[in-house]
Amino acid sequence: MGSSPIPKWASRPCVMGIDEAGRGPVLGPMVYGCLYCPLSYQKALETLNFADSKTLKEEKREELFDNLKANASIGWEVDIIDPRELSAKMLKTEKINLNEISHNSAIGLVRRVLGMGFLLSEVYVDTVGDAEKYRNKLSEIFPGIKFVVAKKADSLFPVVSGASIVAKVTRDRALRGWVLDETAENMHNKFGSGYPGDPQTKAWLDHHKHLVFGFPTLVRFSWGTCTPYLKDTVEVLWECDALAEDSTNNGSSKRQVKLSKLGFIGCKRKSEDVESSGKGRCKFFSARKLELVTHFK
Amino acid sequence: MEASMESSDGVDGGTMGKIDLWHGDPSVVDLTNRVHLLPCVVKHDGPCPISHYFKPRKSDLVCDGLAVEEAFFRGRKLQGVTVSIPEGYRGYVLAKKKLTGGSDMEANSWVSNAEFQNITYWNHDGLPSKQDPLTRCFQWFAVADALHEPITKEELAFASAAQDN
Repeated sequence: MGSSPIPKWASRPCVMGIDEAGRGPVLGPMVYGCLYCPLSYQKALETLNFADSKTLKEEKREELFDNLKANASIGWEVDIIDPRELSAKMLKTEKINLNEISHNSAIGLVRRVLGMGFLLSEVYVDTVGDAEKYRNKLSEIFPGIKFVVAKKADSLFPVVSGASIVAKVTRDRALRGWVLDETAENMHNKFGSGYPGDPQTKAWLDHHKHLVFGFPTLVRFSWGTCTPYLKDTVEVLWECDALAEDSTNNGSSKRQVKLSKLGFIGCKRKSEDVESSGKGRCKFFSARKLELVTHFK
Repeated sequence: MEASMESSDGVDGGTMGKIDLWHGDPSVVDLTNRVHLLPCVVKHDGPCPISHYFKPRKSDLVCDGLAVEEAFFRGRKLQGVTVSIPEGYRGYVLAKKKLTGGSDMEANSWVSNAEFQNITYWNHDGLPSKQDPLTRCFQWFAVADALHEPITKEELAFASAAQDN
């Protein structure tokens, strides 16, 4: 995404930093960014005044991002993970947690930069989860690269600080220019920072809450901070959740009773005869979820 | 046109019902391309600004010859396909018929106020396929036809001959 034609230094040993922006916010994309340069340029990198992006003002970050984009000895890439994708993965029946999503994104960036023809010899990563396990995982996939995985890597290594600026500026720009999928009236883009503690974010969430749909898809439904807002919306029961509970509860879970009350599984049945009635039904019908209905509701 | 449905219920010992299908009436709302079946129960009954929030879009995937669409609802990703209701059949949206009096017959009287010729069903986790219950439901039509086909004299003779042997 970043660099134009591949520079000469690509075949020299390179160092890369990886960092993320937008992991905590309740809305918007999560962005993984990386910055890479020849090992021999590392000293010069220290003079560019990169610092952990969180400690910098927005204008300063934008300025540093413009500088590094113009710098011929630096390359960069980003991976923008859509909030819809984040929610969907975390709410699937086979749930993928945020750490795994993060790891996969970082692995994807390493793979991409290698694929472009850069000789990566050292990669510095801000940790997600246990640093040692994460380092082992990365080393196993990319045995030729030396990985340094550390807490607060973004303030320890300039190459990671640079990556944090790439990620943060990309996330801010993506959120600023976000076009909501939803077309209902009175929607606006004053999201604030997206952090659940931000009054502007809270106000936006309150204003955009919908009884049936919950929130616009910009919001990460899988975040715990959403739950209090969703409490007074219409209840939605998922088939897969009912099945999951079913298998742990041996067939007569509360949820299934609720579903059957709604005419979803059967018609007017009591919980105790759900199973026997199912057994009586010909396999041809039960496999197709077909049932003789004598009373509509 | 008026069609009627009768049904018997083994538990209650028999009930009668009636459904008026205003088939071909121009005032009937056509919901073709607008009926969605979600893999969840939404505990809400009433109007809802669906087209402002529920935005299916085409994906690059094709499953059993049908174009797969993607949509999101409550943070879940759904994958769906639009299937036609087989030739000779039709989907109806029924509402309770308002009648005075209170016989059993009237209590179980319905009228259709909308029709549809296709339905988009959505799966959560997993691509739609020919193995999905909804698609397989349509197989019942062929089985039902065979079951209700009158038996000819020849068939009867053949069957009894087979039994004699």
